[in-house]
Amino acid sequence: MPQELQFEILHKHGVYVGKRKINKQTIVLFQLHGFYVEVFYKQYRKTIDQLITSEDTEILQPYLEQIHIRDLSGGKNKK
Amino acid sequence: MTQSLPPKNLVLYADDDPDDIELVSEAFSIYSRSIELLTFRDGIEMLSYIESINPFQAAPCLFIIDINMPRLNGKETLRRLRSLEEFSEVPAVLFTTSTLPWDESFARNFNAGFVTKPLHTNQVHQIIDQIIDHCSDEVKKLIRRRKGNSDN
Repeated sequence: MPQELQFEILHKHGVYVGKRKINKQTIVLFQLHGFYVEVFYKQYRKTIDQLITSEDTEILQPYLEQIHIRDLSGGKNKK
Repeated sequence: MTQSLPPKNLVLYADDDPDDIELVSEAFSIYSRSIELLTFRDGIEMLSYIESINPFQAAPCLFIIDINMPRLNGKETLRRLRSLEEFSEVPAVLFTTSTLPWDESFARNFNAGFVTKPLHTNQVHQIIDQIIDHCSDEVKKLIRRRKGNSDN
């Protein structure tokens, strides 16, 4: 499937799960029809570096860890 | 001779994500001759500003509201905004990561647009155009004419 079409499907039907950063790179996780898609940005919401897909719920772990941090900081980092 | 500048159209944008604020501010910068974009970190900040507007200040022509925000989320912000008589008809857009049909129908019920945040650069300007499409015809014409002039 052409990449542009993949992006369009993800934009229209993907359910946003969360966002995280590694150093300066922003990564956004979506759920799409029973699997997960992580979008690695070169430039946030502009240039996509790569897409990684997985059916494994392990992919949720770094996003779940952020929720614990959020709770401890009184919701200041909530998104 | 003094020449007064035409007033800018005021757009208010509430979002707790600094990356998205930066993205939208940058995208709106091409309309800077005709639009002044004011940003807020959540719905409470935006509503406080709205309630402080006096009759001598410019009234907003458009509200852009993220859904997932701390303190007061975008849906509740929109609901409260619509309960204020003077802002009940001002165009508003829920600008969100959500693609959920019930969020879209909530927006429709409160006479607001619904725009999903862009995934990548090709969608950014298209989405800003979609947002501007929610402005009144008069404002839209002015914004696009001035943008056209600045492109030349």
